[in-house]
Amino acid sequence: MQDIIAGVRNLTHEFQLNKKLKIRAIDGLSLDIRRGEILGVVGESGSGKSTLARCMMNIYRPTEGEVFFKNIKCSDRAEYKKHAFELQTKRQIIFQDSASSLNPRMRVIDIIAEPFRINHIVPIRGSIENEARFQLKYTGLDEELLYKYPGELSGGQRQRVAIARALAMEPELLVADEPISAVDVSIQAQLVNLFKHLRNEHGFSIMFIAHDLAMVEFLCDRVAIMYRGRLVELAETKELFANPLHPYTKLLLSCIPIPDPRAERERKHPDFDETEFDTSGCLTEISEGHLLLCGGEKSNNKKGSLAIG
Amino acid sequence: MKKKNRLPIASLVILGLIVLGCLMADMISVKDPSYLDLANYTKAPSKEFIFGTDTLGRDIFSCIWHGGRVSILIGLFATLISTFIAVVYGSVSGMASDFIDTIMMRITEIILSIPSLLIIIFLQAILGASNILSISIVIGVTSWCSIAKLVRTEVRQLRKSEYIIASKSMGGGFFFILFHHLLPNFMSSVMFMIVMNIRSAIVTESTLSFIGLGLPLEIISWGSMLSNAEKALMTNAWWIILIPGVFLVAVLLCVSDLGNWLRGRLNPTDKKV
Amino acid sequence: MSKKIWYYLRKTAIFIAGVFILTLVVFFISRLAPIDPLQSYYGERVEKMSVEEKNIARDRLGLNEPVFTQYFKWLDNAFHGDFGISYKYKQDALELIGERIGNTLILGGIGFIIIFLGSLGLGLWCARRENSLFDRIVCKLGTILSCVPEFWLALVLILVFCVMLRILPSSGAYSVTAANESGLAALGDRIAHLILPLTVVVLEHLWYYAYIVRNKCLEEIRADYVLLGRAIGLTKRRVVYRHCLRNLMPSYLSIMAIAVPHILGGTYIVETVFSYPGIGSLAYESARFADYNMLMLLCVLTGIVVIFFNMLAQILNEHIDPRIRAEQTVSGRRTADFRQEPK
Repeated sequence: MQDIIAGVRNLTHEFQLNKKLKIRAIDGLSLDIRRGEILGVVGESGSGKSTLARCMMNIYRPTEGEVFFKNIKCSDRAEYKKHAFELQTKRQIIFQDSASSLNPRMRVIDIIAEPFRINHIVPIRGSIENEARFQLKYTGLDEELLYKYPGELSGGQRQRVAIARALAMEPELLVADEPISAVDVSIQAQLVNLFKHLRNEHGFSIMFIAHDLAMVEFLCDRVAIMYRGRLVELAETKELFANPLHPYTKLLLSCIPIPDPRAERERKHPDFDETEFDTSGCLTEISEGHLLLCGGEKSNNKKGSLAIG
Repeated sequence: MKKKNRLPIASLVILGLIVLGCLMADMISVKDPSYLDLANYTKAPSKEFIFGTDTLGRDIFSCIWHGGRVSILIGLFATLISTFIAVVYGSVSGMASDFIDTIMMRITEIILSIPSLLIIIFLQAILGASNILSISIVIGVTSWCSIAKLVRTEVRQLRKSEYIIASKSMGGGFFFILFHHLLPNFMSSVMFMIVMNIRSAIVTESTLSFIGLGLPLEIISWGSMLSNAEKALMTNAWWIILIPGVFLVAVLLCVSDLGNWLRGRLNPTDKKV
Repeated sequence: MSKKIWYYLRKTAIFIAGVFILTLVVFFISRLAPIDPLQSYYGERVEKMSVEEKNIARDRLGLNEPVFTQYFKWLDNAFHGDFGISYKYKQDALELIGERIGNTLILGGIGFIIIFLGSLGLGLWCARRENSLFDRIVCKLGTILSCVPEFWLALVLILVFCVMLRILPSSGAYSVTAANESGLAALGDRIAHLILPLTVVVLEHLWYYAYIVRNKCLEEIRADYVLLGRAIGLTKRRVVYRHCLRNLMPSYLSIMAIAVPHILGGTYIVETVFSYPGIGSLAYESARFADYNMLMLLCVLTGIVVIFFNMLAQILNEHIDPRIRAEQTVSGRRTADFRQEPK
């Protein structure tokens, strides 16, 4: 049994649009992230992935359920305040759009130094400049960029700066909200390798949100599939890709392009728009570490519970 | 109409000259501006008195520079005060929840609904005898609402940006976010309002001093120089009225030209005069 | 239908709340004043009064009670139409205002009508001849005049027309001798006194609003329907006056509703410079002589006018553009997200 670093229990988050209209972005979701693993979260747009990430980071207050990090129940206000410092430094988030996640009027050095300034931490490497320089190198950037503004950088460089800022605090958990969807394919590969390096060499735990299944297959240890705010399937990457059980997962996997033009042309594409999947039922452990949302007769099992592999 | 928004060089030069003149008032003006030369009152411009003397025998040329100092200082100081209030109030309102935001904006609407001149007159009457500081404060605390509203609108847009969310999740407090993220980003769009605020502060000061509710006659400003215009009118002494006014209008024109330029730079598609 | 009634009820409630808070604020500021109200009541005599005499006087004026009691008393009286007396004139405050409000209404009203029609005409005229010499002169003149403080413009006009040329009276609303004259001559006298104040009020505001009209109209002219109109053979003039004007009118009306308080404020200064016996000069006098009761009433009255017209502008705006209403219920990003939902 592996060590669990963070997770959510029965998490529900609703957006109150106006007096009448509520949108349930996350619906009774439970999930764990193990120490030192990369957990991939996959789903279509609007399936609640980003909301999940933001709930994990305490940016949104969950309507119901709880969020925890190590032994801290951070969805609880008092507990959050008590451990604010640890929560704010040991968890970091990376956003999708690096253009808007970096303040356009701050230099790279100030961006990387921001968490130090906020928390009044003296950098390990002496001065803030040294620290920023180190982080830049670490994420594979040139030191020359130190005194540039985000607007002068390319998309890939900006995303690396964002990662550098997140890494500066040496977090234990990194929540990456589609960190590679907004950059070029060539840079995507570099960033994925960077994440992999971070996990392998430094033991970061990463929650990696994406909709590119090929990247997820390459990078992640376990994959969670989300649909309409619910978790429909969760398994080890190999298991999931080899043996998808939920119809939605199958559909998603069938959409990965095959790198062979002839086969790709002959393949049948299912009709995506018309399909509606059953989101009732509850998660059941089908086999070792493979969870599936089952409706109907199997739903009399323990509701919302999540076996820990 | 040229689409290009050019730096208003002429205005900057004129403004610069006047400000420079005011800064070096002691060197430029040969006479003591507060000296009442009773032998030479209401003298038309001549070699000795370049701009003439007023009804009390003060040398207008000297008064212009010393008075300009006071007028511009009040304009700047009042604007400083109102900008400070506006930035803090607007940012709080912008970052607050919808409910508090609505309340705070309703309050500004109510304050805006009271004619500012009336409030100023009211406050002036209450504060009694005024000096440069008190009048600046009175003007400052009554003219922040419109800037605050703009700040709030900007903050409302900015607060959704991910760098602010990131900063918050790293534990950045309100003032940290205000100074590091909000202020640098909304400053450029608020700048022209601030410049225009200098203009209206100078106008307010001179109006108040003119009708006798602002600075007393002894504290020379362009407004208080005009406050004994009634006597000047009776003696047909045009220079007492025209000269300070021309300087006043020149400064106001330059400042508003500058403000328009700032606004034009902000929104290049917006056509301007 | 009931929705509409509900809407206006809500607006009325906000209006009343606004006025209520206004009275509260103004009342408390005036009571915090360091100057003794007795001074405005008794003038110089107050210095010769003994402590007991002062106390008796205070009791009589109700100044010894706690501020809250004073405020509720004032509010209670105000509901019954009694706004207290002016300390300076020792006369009923409302009566005093009643005597003068007519003059302000004449000055402000005529000024408003001229500005309303004038800026519309001037703006459209300039928009039709964009970039012509006339347009450029008007725009430049407008920029310059908008920087001239009202009081100084008034001074210069007095200097030129009253002192140098001696063709117009410089102060008051009518000559002292006018009372004995016949109706027509009195009217002429009245008009002569109005010309200069009116000129100042109009000149200060006309350009600004004309400029707004001009820019709005230019936006309209660039719209496709104008091109269509031109294509089917309408003259530019016809398109502008028939079609652009109609599209322009609602937003112009709401701008003019906001303009009312501004013009009113301008009138106050002009009245003071020309010693024109209106509310503005009354406010000035009461401020000078610490006549707080009077000043407070004036503040409240003006505030009511301003709140009313601001609200009117808001209602007009909401009628023109239903989006404004929608945004109040669903704000910010959530609206955007919601709109993206395919429904």
